[in-house]
Amino acid sequence: MTVLVGFVPTPEGEAAFTAGLAEARRRQEGLLVLNTPRGGAPVSADVAPPELVRSLTSRAEADGIALELRQTPHTGDLADELLRVADSVNASVIVIGLRRRSPVGKLLMGSSAQRILLDADRPVLAVKPQPTAG
Amino acid sequence: MAPHPDDTAPATTDTPSTLHDLEELAQEVEEEAEHRPPPAGPASNLVIAALVVALGAAAAVGALALGAGTARTPGPGIWPLILGVLLVVLGLGLAATARRTADTEQFSRSSWLVLAGLATMLVFVALIGTIGFEIPSALLAFVWLRFLGGESWRTSALVSIGVVVAFYLVFVAALSVPIPHLF
Amino acid sequence: MDLAPVLDGFAVVLEPTNLLYCLIGVVVGMLVGVLPGLGPAATIAILLPITIGIEPVTAIIMLAGIFYGAQYGGTITSVLLKLPGEASSVVTVFDGYAMARQGRAGTALGIAAIGSFAGGTISIVALSFLAPLVASFALDFGPPEYTALALLGILLVATVSSGSRLKAVVAACVGLLLATVGRDGFTATERFTFGNLNLADGLDFVPIAMGLFGLGEILYNLEQRHNATQAPTKVANVWPSRQDLRQSSGAIGRGSVIGFLLGILPGGGATLSSLAAYAVEKRRSKTPERFGKGAVEGVAGPETANNAAATSSFIPLLTLGIPANATMAVIFGALLVVGVTPGPQLVTEEPELFWGVVNSMYIGNILLLIMSIPLVGLFVKILRVRPAILAPITVLITLIGVYTVNNSVFDIVLVIVFGVLGYLMKKAGFDPGPLLLAFVLGALLEDGLRRSLLIFDGDATGFFTRPISGTLLVVFLLVAVYPFVATLRSRRRQEPAQDTSDPNTKELV
Repeated sequence: MTVLVGFVPTPEGEAAFTAGLAEARRRQEGLLVLNTPRGGAPVSADVAPPELVRSLTSRAEADGIALELRQTPHTGDLADELLRVADSVNASVIVIGLRRRSPVGKLLMGSSAQRILLDADRPVLAVKPQPTAG
Repeated sequence: MAPHPDDTAPATTDTPSTLHDLEELAQEVEEEAEHRPPPAGPASNLVIAALVVALGAAAAVGALALGAGTARTPGPGIWPLILGVLLVVLGLGLAATARRTADTEQFSRSSWLVLAGLATMLVFVALIGTIGFEIPSALLAFVWLRFLGGESWRTSALVSIGVVVAFYLVFVAALSVPIPHLF
Repeated sequence: MDLAPVLDGFAVVLEPTNLLYCLIGVVVGMLVGVLPGLGPAATIAILLPITIGIEPVTAIIMLAGIFYGAQYGGTITSVLLKLPGEASSVVTVFDGYAMARQGRAGTALGIAAIGSFAGGTISIVALSFLAPLVASFALDFGPPEYTALALLGILLVATVSSGSRLKAVVAACVGLLLATVGRDGFTATERFTFGNLNLADGLDFVPIAMGLFGLGEILYNLEQRHNATQAPTKVANVWPSRQDLRQSSGAIGRGSVIGFLLGILPGGGATLSSLAAYAVEKRRSKTPERFGKGAVEGVAGPETANNAAATSSFIPLLTLGIPANATMAVIFGALLVVGVTPGPQLVTEEPELFWGVVNSMYIGNILLLIMSIPLVGLFVKILRVRPAILAPITVLITLIGVYTVNNSVFDIVLVIVFGVLGYLMKKAGFDPGPLLLAFVLGALLEDGLRRSLLIFDGDATGFFTRPISGTLLVVFLLVAVYPFVATLRSRRRQEPAQDTSDPNTKELV
């Protein structure tokens, strides 16, 4: 069993990682951080740069948590990919960050978080960034 | 099965200074940047060589029919005849080296994507004369985005409509290019 | 040297329309050059239809702008992503990418822009003096000389093209064969038209270039989608420090000379010169161990050289009418489309056009320098666009663009046919470059050959008794035979030494 965190390099992703780390400590499980960009483009702002990866690793080490980071790109929907990974590693909980979306933005882009919450067949922990941090 | 070329390439930890080594290193970088399918075997190399020979032979036969003339009064067929014979010779050369050739790529499952892309273009060219460019263009863009590119339904629909509108505004409205159009 | 036409040329370039088109060309070239997959030749090929209907000078100025812009675009991806846009910026990866990982991406791009500007400018000055001389020398050339020159040009391009030489020569022969389609210029016999009226006037250059380079490239890229996605690199501090400039000034100077000299040679001048410049810098350096780990000279030298070579490769095109590489072949075709035949007469008969194009290179280089440094951030953003979205747009631009040239649906069919051919050639390891180059030179070559035979009264030895054509043909034979001798020699040398070596190493040749 492992704790699965959907990570993007934003305050929301940061909050999800912090919550995931705490959850992994509490459950005494490993932590799997899924940082998967939409495949195809040579560059994506969703990929965590190497410095950030190092800082995440050292934070997990400091807490004595075994951290696995996956950065392979995905095709199709992010929600599907996260759920697929959750099934394949049999995650005990999925941790995601929620971001604020306007109704129009939600209509056009859809909401990955909503799909994960509705479709996941295991607990989902949804967190928001600290208002002071954002 | 031949191993991947990278396996046999020398391990280059520091950059070399001779031009030859540099060329090899440059090729490695290029190969690394492009993830290509594995090389095809000698059989496909022989097929390619045979195609080259056949093309050369056909050209030579066609050239003889045109009339090669003589060296003093060269006819319309003399130049194609030379090229045809040269192609036959080169094709035989390809056949002779078929075993050592490693730059031919296998067709992979994703080669079907290319065939599908080709089909959309053929539909485009078949329809453009009768119903204008708008519908075929939207269709082509949609198929490429949704099925060849794996974009979402929403993105595919929005982009393909947007592209056709933009093309219409640029080619028909602004530049008045005489392209067949429906509206 | 008479300066009046040179100054007139500047007047042509400084016309607002031409400046605008030069600017558009540089920006479009950079935009497309940044995108992996489409190199300069493909970019120019796809945009060929734009040149229809605008003034020849303006058209060429824009195409030349696209050419330099695309080259610099390739540099950006080499430095930031380790993805060289084309062969001539591959060496930039070694030190450029290392610099980017040390957080000095901006410096690498800045020094590359300054080097490109310096190399380009030095090369243009040299070109301005040398080109008229070459042209006046070539004015005496008759059909035998042109035959020999065209043969040598095609062979050299085939020799240095990427991939197998044998396959490159096959591609060139197919190109020459395609050039014979249509009515024969001497006897008006229809050749290889299969009764199709659309083929009676021969195959058009535009659909072939757009198909082989444009569509062929797009179809080929459809198959590869597993490129790793990287995090965006921060590009700050684009202006190099004074120390960086001091360190690379020697490399820029040497790179300019190497680039100019090698660029004149037919074949991959830009690629070869960037390799040579890197090797020279490393050899000369007191601290060669820094190379490959972010040495600023390792970016400055090759980037200067490839731009200098790109500029000087215009010399054979504009003065002899012989394109030196595939990109020049596309520009050659574009010139023919707008009604200009490049050759030795160009300098004297159309000085405005000649000097206009040459001088537009100064302006293009200045624009490139001005645009590249502040706009790097913007170009980096383009890398976030997914190729899956761009591909259908490029396809439609190609299909609709080729239609607008002659308003003919048959041209769309042709572009698709040649797109498939281009794809299959790349699959089978044939470089399409020599095919297009040979196609462009095909008519000249056949014409020269048949005229020469008439002049010599059927005696082919006449080619060797004329001094210039004889020399060129001897060089041709040397170039043709050398690879075999070299292979035999190296094989003989290697066999006793490493007979236990892996037999697979031969497959790399």
